[in-house]
Amino acid sequence: MAPGLDKLQHIVVLMMENRSFDHMLGSLKTVNPNIDGYVDGDPYSNPDANNKPVKPQPSAKFQGQLQPDPDHHFPAVDLQIFGKDSAPGASNRQPNMQGFVASYFNQQRNLAHSQMIMYYFPKENLPVLTTLALEFAVFNRWFASIPGPTICNRAFAHYGTSFGRVDLNPIYPPGTIKSVYSRLINADPKRTAKVYYYDTTSSTMEVANLLQNEPELFGTFKQFLEDCDNGDLPDYSFIEPNYSDHQGDSGALIANDQHPDHNVRAGEIFIAEVYQAIKNNPQLWESTALLITYDEHGGIFDHVPPPNCVADKFKATGNDTGVGVDFHFDRLGVRVPTILVSPWIPAGKVENRVFDHASIPATITKFFLGDYSADRSPREINADIFIEPQGGAVDPARNLLSLDAMRTDCPDFDV
Amino acid sequence: MALIPVPKPPKNAYDPDRPVGSLLKSQVDHMREAESKLPLRYRSQIETYVKAVRTEGEAARYIQAVTRAIHLAHEAAERDRRGPRPAPVAKPAVRIGAASDESVERKQKRARKRPTSKSKKGTGARRRRK
Repeated sequence: MAPGLDKLQHIVVLMMENRSFDHMLGSLKTVNPNIDGYVDGDPYSNPDANNKPVKPQPSAKFQGQLQPDPDHHFPAVDLQIFGKDSAPGASNRQPNMQGFVASYFNQQRNLAHSQMIMYYFPKENLPVLTTLALEFAVFNRWFASIPGPTICNRAFAHYGTSFGRVDLNPIYPPGTIKSVYSRLINADPKRTAKVYYYDTTSSTMEVANLLQNEPELFGTFKQFLEDCDNGDLPDYSFIEPNYSDHQGDSGALIANDQHPDHNVRAGEIFIAEVYQAIKNNPQLWESTALLITYDEHGGIFDHVPPPNCVADKFKATGNDTGVGVDFHFDRLGVRVPTILVSPWIPAGKVENRVFDHASIPATITKFFLGDYSADRSPREINADIFIEPQGGAVDPARNLLSLDAMRTDCPDFDV
Repeated sequence: MALIPVPKPPKNAYDPDRPVGSLLKSQVDHMREAESKLPLRYRSQIETYVKAVRTEGEAARYIQAVTRAIHLAHEAAERDRRGPRPAPVAKPAVRIGAASDESVERKQKRARKRPTSKSKKGTGARRRRK
C-alpha cells in the first residue's frame, strides 16, 4: 500500500544554480547526524598555496564574497576533485576533494581570498532550504552529472545526456535521444509538460526546445503561479530561476538563481514561492512531488568524492575537456543540495542512494510513460529513480512517499 | 508549525550593471544561435552587436528581444497553419551600450507615428457608424 504514490499526479523540478551540498546544507549535520555534512571538528580540510590546512568555516555571506565567480569548468573541477598532486591521465587517480582552495587561488593568487571557497552557511541563515531539508527528504548522494559547468549539467536533466559536451555550448547534434518533454507530449496517450522560465527577459537555458516547442512547452513563472492556483499544472514541470538583475514589468528584479555572486536570499524567497504555490492549493499539494536541486557545485567545496558511474555512449576528447585526456562521462560531478518535498514523506528522511541529474528524465519517463522503448543514453538507463512507479508491488525501502496518511504539520513560509 | 519568516535581500543587491558572467554570456550566445534560425523578418538588429554585451542588464535586453521574436515567430506559424498569411512584423530593435544603432529605433518610431492609408479608412468607417 502506497497512498502517496497512488495520489501522485504531478512532478515539479526546480533547478537552482551553482552551490555545493556542504556549502548550503552541510551545517544540518549538527541537527541530524544522518545528514552527511560538516561539523566543527571533522577532519576534512584543503591545503592552501602554502600547504597549510584550511578548514570549512560557517562564514558564507549572501553576496559579495565569491568574486570572481569560482571556476567550474572541466579542468578546474578536475583539480578540485583530485587535488594539485594528481595529474589528469595519471594511473590510479583517487578523488580526494583537496583542490578547491588551490583552484580558487589560481584565479587571483590571493591567499586569504582563496580560503573563502571553504565557507558554508550556518543553518539559521537559510531558513527555507534547511527547513525543507529537515522536514522532507534530503539526498546525501545527489551529484552533478558532469564535473563541469551549467549547460552540460542541465542537459542531463532534460535529455539524460549532454551528447558529449563538457562545456557551455548548448548546440547538440540532431539524434535519436529526445528530451523528456518531447517524450511526454508525443506519447500516446499524450502527457503534458512545461518548462517555466522566470520571464521573457531571463528566458531559458533550453533554447533548443524553445525553438521547437514554444509555446506548447514553455510558460513563465507568473503562469506557473496561475496554473497552481487554477489546478492546471501539467504532469511534469521544470522551473528555471531568474538568471539576471533586470527591469521587469513590475520594476527591478533581482536574480534569484543563487549563482555566485547573486544574492542567496533572493533564491530563498523564490524556493519558498514555488513551495507555497503548490502547498496553497490543497488538491495540488496532495498530488504533487517537488524536487529542488542545483545544476552543479559552482567551484565551492564539498567533502564527498564523486563516484564512478557507467560510461555514456558519447566521449569528450582531450581537447574538449581542456586537460588533454578524453572523458567518457564515467564519473559524476561534485555533490549538490537536493530535496524531495511531498506531504507523504516523513520529516527527517535522509536518502543515501546515489543519484545525478540523469535520474530526472529517468524518473519522469518511468513514472509517466512506464516502459519506454525509444533511444535513451546509457547514463539515463542506469540512473536510479527517486519516485517509484505507480501500481504493482512497491519496495518500501525505495519509496520516499511512504506515509499511510498525509501530513498536516508541514511548514509554511511568509512570502 | 509557525509561519517561517524569509528575510529579503537589501535593495542595493540589485545591480544590472554587474559584469556579465560566463553563464549569461553563454545564454547570449545560445540566443544568438536561436536568432539565426528564425525567419529573417523576426531577427533583431542586434546580431552585429552581441560582442558589445558587457553587463547583466544588456544581456537581459538582448535575451528578451530574441525570446519575444521566438514568440512572434511561433504565433505567426500558428496563424499560417490556421489560415491567411500574417502581415509582416517589425524587427525588434535592441540597444546595447554605445554600439547600438539608434537610427533603427528612430525609423521605427517614425513609422509608428505615420498614419497609413488602412488606418485612415478604419477611422472613417468608425465615424460613419457613429
